[in-house]
Formats: sequence, structure tokens, C-alpha cells
Amino acid sequence: MSQGEEEQGLMTERGTGTSEANAVYAFAVCHTEGDPDVERLTGVTRDEPVRCLRIGSLTAIVQTVRGSDFTDEVWQKRLTDEAELERYARAHHSVVSAVASQFPTVPLPLATLYNGDERAALSLAGESARFRAALTRIAHHAEWGVKVYVPVARSAGDDPSDERPASAATRTRPATGAGRAYLERKRNLHSRREQRQADSLRVADAVDADVSRLATESRRLRPHGGGAGDDRRVQVLNATYLVAGHRAAELDLLVAELRRRTGAHIEVSGPWVPYSFVGEV
Amino acid sequence: MTDLDFRQDASYPAAGPQNTNLADILERVLDKGIVIAGDIKIDLLDIELLTIRLRLFVASVDTAKKAGIDWWETDPALSSHAARNALKDENRELRARLEALESRSEDTSADSR
Repeated sequence: MSQGEEEQGLMTERGTGTSEANAVYAFAVCHTEGDPDVERLTGVTRDEPVRCLRIGSLTAIVQTVRGSDFTDEVWQKRLTDEAELERYARAHHSVVSAVASQFPTVPLPLATLYNGDERAALSLAGESARFRAALTRIAHHAEWGVKVYVPVARSAGDDPSDERPASAATRTRPATGAGRAYLERKRNLHSRREQRQADSLRVADAVDADVSRLATESRRLRPHGGGAGDDRRVQVLNATYLVAGHRAAELDLLVAELRRRTGAHIEVSGPWVPYSFVGEV
Repeated sequence: MTDLDFRQDASYPAAGPQNTNLADILERVLDKGIVIAGDIKIDLLDIELLTIRLRLFVASVDTAKKAGIDWWETDPALSSHAARNALKDENRELRARLEALESRSEDTSADSR
């Protein structure tokens, strides 16, 4: 495998005793000739400051990190530890957000690492056409997340202990009447459930269609599962939209109207740096 | 290409929402974004596997259950931070199994034609 050989080559080039070697963590690339203010940002380590690395007319936001803290092995452990992963994801996100609030910014994925400034500058410069294309696509836009929830309907028929005592009529002819009534109840329950499912999918599609009309681009993400145990709602839509800055207020109004019209619980998050829309679509 | 002029646009800044939950951030910093090759290859799990492990998305769990994968029920990482090396190996093994499973189901669907 050429990739593996290349990595090995890099390792040997740097010689032995590389445990203390530094790596460069890249957070984002932004469009500016001036330096964004990154002074108060912590980044992913407290040892070194977050700083700017000039790449032509673009600027990468980077941080020197200890190489041994950012190997694949260490990341694999990190990924199994929710608290650790959250720390890094939020650290990454806060740098990206801070820079994006100052200049047009393309976020890089979590854990983009280079063997030093020269390597980072060289690699990122090689991608500058893609960065420019992404910057053009997201210019004057922000990303907004829209989630739709429907309540978990706890219908009476769901519970087997809900069997009602037989009425006077069925008591006289217990066998046939009770059996038929039971089947009838089962059938109703089943069709009610299917109805509910169809209804919530319809609500999800309606919300998605309306918001998509207002958005420049849209993407459906996987719905999240319920978090806390007593959260009695089901997420039926998890979508994200690239919305022009001047239409953000319209989105607000639209969502309010959709809430009234559908009765569904609709959550909006944003504005996000357009993470979901900087990749090739 | 026309030169980009974004500067001093008051409507531009997107500082990111307050009180965002982890799943919202993860699906943005991991799953999407521009694909850029770093020098140090970090094998970030497929977001699918990762989120199953972290129980962030029940929808994914359901998918996995249908495929017969239910290992997270006894995954030590979900209850303690022990056995990390074992987890890594397990992870590799599981990916291999998943691949095998997927290729098998492809075979079956090809056969049924």
C-alpha cells in the first residue's frame, strides 16, 4: 500500500526519538488577508496557542500539538469515551465558530493533522481551489438545523391490562362476542399505529418541503434517538438547511407557521457555520 | 473565477448556536465537511458505528439490530473506561464481520434475481 509506505517514509525521515515530535492540528481555513483574532481561543491543547498560518490569500487556523497525543491509536481511545470525544468536538467547534464569526470560513473535519507547518501549508494550498469553491457556495449563508418531533402516543389499546370487563351483552354469549371484540380491538390498534406513523412521516415531509423551498440547499440527517428516559417524543425529521442571511427571519416565521399548522414540536438550531454544505455535493 | 468579496458583511458571521448538544456537533464535525487529507491518518470510525457505541442515535441502533449486531449491549466502554485495547481489536473484528455480512447480503440479493 503506497499510503502506508508514505507514512513509514515520513516516520523514518523524522528519525528516531519522534515521541516528542510536534504535529499541527488544523481547524479551519478562512478567507482573509488579515489575521483573525484567535488570541483567546484554547483549541485542543493548553500547551500551545491557536494561531494563523498564511496560505496565499487564505489563512489556516492551526495549533501545534504533541504528536503523541494525536496518533490514530489515541484517537481510537478517544472515540470510545464520550466525555473525551465531547471535549475535543466542542474545542474544535468553538475555534471554527469563533473564526467564522470574523471571516468567511471553511471548517475542516475533526482531527486533521499535519507533520509541521510546511506540510500543512503545502497540503492546504493544494486544495485552495476547493476551498474557494466552498467559500463561494456558503458566502452570505448560514446553516440551520430543523428537527421535528411527534409525541409518543400512549393509546389505551396498547396496554393489555386495559381489557375492559365484558359488558352485559357479551356476558350472555361470551365465546363469540369476546373473541370478535378482541380481534376488532387488535385491528384498530394496528391501524391506529400505522395511521400515526403515516401522519408523522407526512408532517416530516411537509416541514422539509416548506423549509427546502426557502433554503438554498438542504440535507436530511439521521434522526436522533430519544435521549433522557422520560423524553416521550420521537424525532421524525432531522434536517439541515443552507439559508441565505437575508432569509433567516423568514425561516423564523415559516417555522412558527408550521408549528401552528402541523401541531408538531419543531426545534430549530442555528446559525451554524455551514459544516454540512462545504463538501462536494 | 471572480474574486470573492465577503469582507465587512454584517449578515455573514455565524457564531454557532448556544447550548448545542453533542450529537448536533458530532454529525457536523465528523460526518460532513470538506474531505481533506492530513499527514497523520486518523481513522475516525464511520459515524454510524461511533454513534451506535455512544448511543446517540437510536435509529442507527435499530438498523444495527436488524443486521444482527447487538454488541454494544455488553460493550465495556459504555459502562467503564476499561478494556480499551480489547475494544480496539473488537472494533476491527466487528468491521470485518460487518463487511462479511454486507457482502453476504449482496450475494443473497444477487442470487434471488
